[in-house]
Amino acid sequence: MNWRFALLALGGFAVVYFALVVCGVVPLESLAKMIQSAVGSPAGWRNTLRQATPLLILGAAVFVALRAGLFNIGADGQFVMGAMSGTAVALANPGPVGMVLGMVSGALVGALWALPAGWIKAYRGGHEVITTIMLNNIARVLSLWMVTGIMKDPDEQAATTKYLPTETLLPLIYREKALQINLALLLGIAAVIGLWFYLKKTVSGYELEATGGNPTAARFAGIAVKQVTLKAMCLSGALAGFAGALQVLAYEERFYGGFSGGVGFDALGVALLAAGSPIALLPSALLFGIIAQGTTALSLDGVPKGMSGILLGVLIIVFAAYRYRKEAARD
Amino acid sequence: MSAESVVDLSGIVQKFGRVTALDGVALTVRKQTIHALVGENGAGKTTLMKVLYGALKPTEGKVIVEGQERHFTKPQDALAAGIGMVSQHYSIIGELTCLENLMLGAEPGWTIPFANARTKATELATQMGFSFDWDALAEGIGPAQAQKLEILKLLWRGARIMILDEPTAMLSPTDADLLFAKLHELADSGTTIIVVTHRLPEVMDHCDDVTVLRGGKLIASKPVSETNPEELTEMIVGHSVDIPAPTPATPGAVILGVSGLTVKGERGDDAVKNVSFELRGGELTGLAGVDGNGQRELFQAILGLLPFSGSVALDGVDLTKKSTKDRLVAGIRLIAEDRHHEAVIEDWSIELNGVLGLHHTEPIRRGMLVSANARKEIGEAVTNRFPTKFDRVGQRFGDLSGGNQQKVVTARAFQQNPRLILAFQPTRGIDIHVSALVFQALKEQARAGSAVLLVSFDIDEILEHCDRVLVINHGEINEPPEHLRGDRQAIGRLMVGAE
Amino acid sequence: MIDPLVILFGLASIQGLTLLTSALTLSSPLILAALGGLCSERSGVVNIGLEGKMLGAACAAGIVGQLSGNPVLAVLAGIGVGTALSLLHALLTQTFRMDHIISGMGINALAVGGTSLIAKTLSNQLSGRMASFPIFIYWVAAWTAVVGIWWYLKSTRGGLRLNAVGNDPDKARQMGVNPVHVRLFALLWTGIFCGLGGTLIVTNAGSFSDEMTAGRGYIALAALILGGWRPIPTLLACLAFGFFEAINLQMQGQSFFGQTIPREFWQSLPYLVTLVALAGFLGKNKPPSGLGRP
Repeated sequence: MNWRFALLALGGFAVVYFALVVCGVVPLESLAKMIQSAVGSPAGWRNTLRQATPLLILGAAVFVALRAGLFNIGADGQFVMGAMSGTAVALANPGPVGMVLGMVSGALVGALWALPAGWIKAYRGGHEVITTIMLNNIARVLSLWMVTGIMKDPDEQAATTKYLPTETLLPLIYREKALQINLALLLGIAAVIGLWFYLKKTVSGYELEATGGNPTAARFAGIAVKQVTLKAMCLSGALAGFAGALQVLAYEERFYGGFSGGVGFDALGVALLAAGSPIALLPSALLFGIIAQGTTALSLDGVPKGMSGILLGVLIIVFAAYRYRKEAARD
Repeated sequence: MSAESVVDLSGIVQKFGRVTALDGVALTVRKQTIHALVGENGAGKTTLMKVLYGALKPTEGKVIVEGQERHFTKPQDALAAGIGMVSQHYSIIGELTCLENLMLGAEPGWTIPFANARTKATELATQMGFSFDWDALAEGIGPAQAQKLEILKLLWRGARIMILDEPTAMLSPTDADLLFAKLHELADSGTTIIVVTHRLPEVMDHCDDVTVLRGGKLIASKPVSETNPEELTEMIVGHSVDIPAPTPATPGAVILGVSGLTVKGERGDDAVKNVSFELRGGELTGLAGVDGNGQRELFQAILGLLPFSGSVALDGVDLTKKSTKDRLVAGIRLIAEDRHHEAVIEDWSIELNGVLGLHHTEPIRRGMLVSANARKEIGEAVTNRFPTKFDRVGQRFGDLSGGNQQKVVTARAFQQNPRLILAFQPTRGIDIHVSALVFQALKEQARAGSAVLLVSFDIDEILEHCDRVLVINHGEINEPPEHLRGDRQAIGRLMVGAE
Repeated sequence: MIDPLVILFGLASIQGLTLLTSALTLSSPLILAALGGLCSERSGVVNIGLEGKMLGAACAAGIVGQLSGNPVLAVLAGIGVGTALSLLHALLTQTFRMDHIISGMGINALAVGGTSLIAKTLSNQLSGRMASFPIFIYWVAAWTAVVGIWWYLKSTRGGLRLNAVGNDPDKARQMGVNPVHVRLFALLWTGIFCGLGGTLIVTNAGSFSDEMTAGRGYIALAALILGGWRPIPTLLACLAFGFFEAINLQMQGQSFFGQTIPREFWQSLPYLVTLVALAGFLGKNKPPSGLGRP
């Protein structure tokens, strides 16, 4: 911790403060209100947890790639493709079977969508950031085409599929007054715990983190770095696709154009804030859920939705300045 | 030849933390001479030169250049005063052309008149008898050309005092002679040259004066004509200490069999050339050689990290087609040269690093899992083997001091029943007391039936500790004949290919 | 790949000239952004924040253009914000030694959020078309800049040093070239070019709207990679991408020889081509060796 960092953190806070002033609200008051609306009532919690669910799983997706030294900017596209395929499969198989198959297909398609990026990175040397951005764009165009074409509900004006029947949807596991918790959240938490187990206990996870930690040393330790890279990318894609399918099966109940709303990018923030520990994804995702829910609440006071972008940007920059510095060259 | 001195260093003290690298060293260099600075690795030669050309600010002492006292804070200051250095690691950027490299940092103007610059560069090169394809990318030029380009870079910048650090280390003998011929011409035309070297024939044949450093202290400084190789050797090495005769080894079965091994180096030439040898259990074998003569590539090929032709067998099992992982499981251990990059993950704990590379061996690996118990045991073993200063095994590895890091990395190679330990300067940065323990441990491991191959750039270290000596020079391995095994000079000659 | 003949026939069969002007118009912001990326990446600074810089510039230029009615102020505002964001990237990557990609992502998020927030807040004071220079001027600027940068890289001291730092900052430092200074200067130009690019985008549209750069910053980055980080090939890649976009806009549902090619195909073509290029199937383009190094 030094004065430069303190200055940056202060600058970050000033940006947020100033942005709130511009919106014509009292900054500290509205920050308090944000938190209050997100976690101060059962309904607030319901919405916050709903927002946090995809962030948690997508965060895990980005996280696992990051541990292998990869930036999966493509979580967004994998999420969209997972959601789309999950919807298609679930629509074709109504009932619990469709629910399960939907999740499976979401994960599979997500992994498939990440595969080219992983392969190009491992075996052709093309940077994963660019390839995943390209794949995001292709996913966006492709999903729009599908949802305005063969997947479109003919009875609807908008670009959307049919709604899934209720029996295909994921059930609520808790319901008390306004507080409702969907099974998806539990699955998300399970995924994070599973990820923790994988990374911290298994040989494969050990090799993945070694590859991210120092690829040369990993190679010297007999680790097949290229294969690990490919594996990590596909695992990341599978998680993101799984998150997409869950989003449909638990909350959205259908697939539509512009499905992700950029949640894949927020996930990068979730993963960065979790730093080295998978379990830290839980509070990190919750924090981003609070921001998402809080800014939605603030919009009633006339604070535009853009506030969440500013908070996200400031959070990423300040935290990364603290945690993700590059070592200076050694002589 | 004039007697006027151009460089006068006096009372130079350089401390790094508690370590004193230079202890009141003085150096006087006469104008238009070739001055040799000799000493063993770690004698302080490079440090002294860094002080002279501004890369280090001395803790104490005076730097006088051409009669003026100077306080350089960066190499550019020294360059402005006419001092330039060619370091062992060239500062040539491969992606730029030779001409661009020549000019970088000292371009003729805001825009570069390339045709003009090319003519000037050619003139400069012709004066020196060099020739360059100026528009070719620098990545394609060999070490000899690169050396010449570095010299031209200094001339381009108007350097009058030139420091060359081990200029012939990467050159063939012919190129080395040519280089010195050019250096003589340069000296005759007004330049003063300081050559840092440890090759005595170069000093005797080509230099005017010689200064000897040992252990950070000035030992002697005199004209070459007033000394001889024997005296120099004694001054460099110090009065020969009684080296205890190695306890006789009882060589066991062949553990490592290498035959016809050829490995391509970074530059595309063969770094290891058709090498065949066997290592037996029970023996600590030293591989003597000057840095960069193929040691690195040999080790990496044996571990399966570099493609090679020929064959490698361990305990009679052919490993030629096996992966690095299989070789590690079979019992090959490497104490890597570059600890930061090759051996550890600094952000990880000591414990996690302790099993890196061993994580496929039983019982560390249990099915799909890494056994927490075994990991803990190894973590304790690698910190207990040598006296290591650390807080706890969960501590971040990068927070250990360099010496302690090296101890852990070295200790790791002894875990999980090694059959063959490839040790690349395993005691770098470790104090003398612990170094002795490391050599002792290597020897014990050998006596217990493993084969150990030790790379060292220090002949004495090898003579003192090893049962058997191999010498590597330009990728070729030779074994000195029986009667010369303990002969320092003979091995030294093999190291530089003089025999 | 598409047979060039097919495109030629397509050209002849529809209003070819419109297509061409449209392609030129659409490629200009890409060219400017790609040049911005070129300055940055040739100096070794990874820049996935082109999108954010353009968006910030578009917002500033649009709003100032509408409020002041002065095209000069509009352009200056665009350049100012583009430069400010670019210098923020320089600060974060050079002073704070932050990972270049994270810094870029953070700046993008800031720009998306910030512009949306400002535009919303001011929305009731904004009306009509912004004051602006004719589009033509931006074309000239973009094309001149390509030639200018090409010349700069090839024949100036600054170009040589940029190259040196981009390939090996440590060795460049040994030769007395300060990598931070070189990169600061390069990122200044990145800001200026992205500023112009963003201004052009908002000029085309008449007023700012949320996320109006629509991923052009990323496409520009793709063009830069396709062009092998060299000015002229990058220009050609931008032209090709502009062309794809123009076809996409003009040929909705039009058919070639009875085959209907969905417009989505043209939309994703730049991305697909870039993927194939990154897989190394269109010849190996080597990035600057020092890319991303501190």
